[in-house]
Amino acid sequence: MKKLSSFMNSKYILIALTALCFLFIGTSFFTDKLTTPLRNVVSVVVVPIQKGMNNIGMWLSEKYDTLQEISVVMDNNKELQSQVDALTEENNQLKLDTYELDRLRDLYELDQKYVGYTKIGARVVGTTSDNWSSSFQIDKGTEDGVEVDMNVIASGGLVGIISEAGPHYSIVKTITEDSSQVSAMLIDTNETCMVKGDIELMDSGLIHLHSLKKDVVIRNGDKLVTSNISDRYLEGILIGYAKDVEMDSNNLTQSGYLVPAVDFSNLQEVLIITQKKNQ
Amino acid sequence: MKRKVGELILILCFYLFQVSLGRVIAIAGIVPNFLIILPVLFGFFKGKNEGMFVGFFAGMMYDLFFSGLFGFSSLIFIYVGYFAGFFYQKYEEREILIPMSMILIADFGFAFLSYVGNFLLHNRLNVGFFMSRFILPEVVYTLIISVIVYKPILFLSNRLDIVRSRRRIKEIYERNH
Repeated sequence: MKKLSSFMNSKYILIALTALCFLFIGTSFFTDKLTTPLRNVVSVVVVPIQKGMNNIGMWLSEKYDTLQEISVVMDNNKELQSQVDALTEENNQLKLDTYELDRLRDLYELDQKYVGYTKIGARVVGTTSDNWSSSFQIDKGTEDGVEVDMNVIASGGLVGIISEAGPHYSIVKTITEDSSQVSAMLIDTNETCMVKGDIELMDSGLIHLHSLKKDVVIRNGDKLVTSNISDRYLEGILIGYAKDVEMDSNNLTQSGYLVPAVDFSNLQEVLIITQKKNQ
Repeated sequence: MKRKVGELILILCFYLFQVSLGRVIAIAGIVPNFLIILPVLFGFFKGKNEGMFVGFFAGMMYDLFFSGLFGFSSLIFIYVGYFAGFFYQKYEEREILIPMSMILIADFGFAFLSYVGNFLLHNRLNVGFFMSRFILPEVVYTLIISVIVYKPILFLSNRLDIVRSRRRIKEIYERNH
């Protein structure tokens, strides 16, 4: 009995647990076989609760927003009434233009690429436990047809990519994340460049754009989409708009910033494109 | 046993606070570190072994879904619980400043080590930025949260003891009769 209690000494427990942790760290370098079953078990318990909490939170914030909005709406109402008259007139003019545009579209047979992809909607249920990364957890997993490396979009722009998928949850790695790189191209000239997330730009909401050839003409607001040479991102998804691109000191490439098309600060729902690039 | 299960449930709750509630209460993108509060307080209330137990599982939850290096947080949290255990029964439990300062040191150390591992070793030498934008706000926010949860956790921790001691009294009573 005395022998057993001496083994229960906190120093021995500390040494044993330290060794165990180093074992975990060591194995996590090579494989995630160890954590996958644990994740699946915990996610069975955690994800439904997270969904519930999320719904409660959404309901509360909706009610809060409604209350706030009422006073603003009253003020705006008068102002808007006068605008309505002006706009009605303008609208008639625009309708004529739309008919013309529709006709021209038919002529050009504009290729509607996005619409062709099949998508799954998912709700954001959790953020990372630390503050460094901007990954998030969504409530759809492999049993809903989500797989690793599927592209994630929201409000018409690229959000990121599925980095892990469990049976009922998956983790999305966003393009603003520090370690993420996306190959992009200019929509009009097809010149490629790289888009790289940076934690130090978190407050401005921008991401880095680099490795653009020096002779490419690029202006603020030029659209950038995912490039055809990327092996994980589908071609032609809008990433964002160029900003302050300048010549690098090496005089060979240009670099600058990119304003993402997606508002990452308040992401509630995302769409997962179930088609993968390398298939 | 009941105590351990109670602690595991508490860890699960704090994990949910961290990932779900954290989004709502985040200030400028900074979420307080809920999970590091637990090993410090349990180490302080119940000794080294309890602190290490809570630290191990809290760290595992912290790493489980999002970390590439599974086990790192567990390692830090175990040591946090162990060192908090040195102050076990040395101070009155109403002396809130002692556990507060331990949480301060623990969270600062943990955040700084994660910075070193995630960024400094990847040649991100802008320590001032990371310190003022991430580490210090997180520490302050965590301290505010720990002031709020201190009393409830103390109450729960004592509650779990009462359950156990009642059973023990019953056992002793049955043995004697």
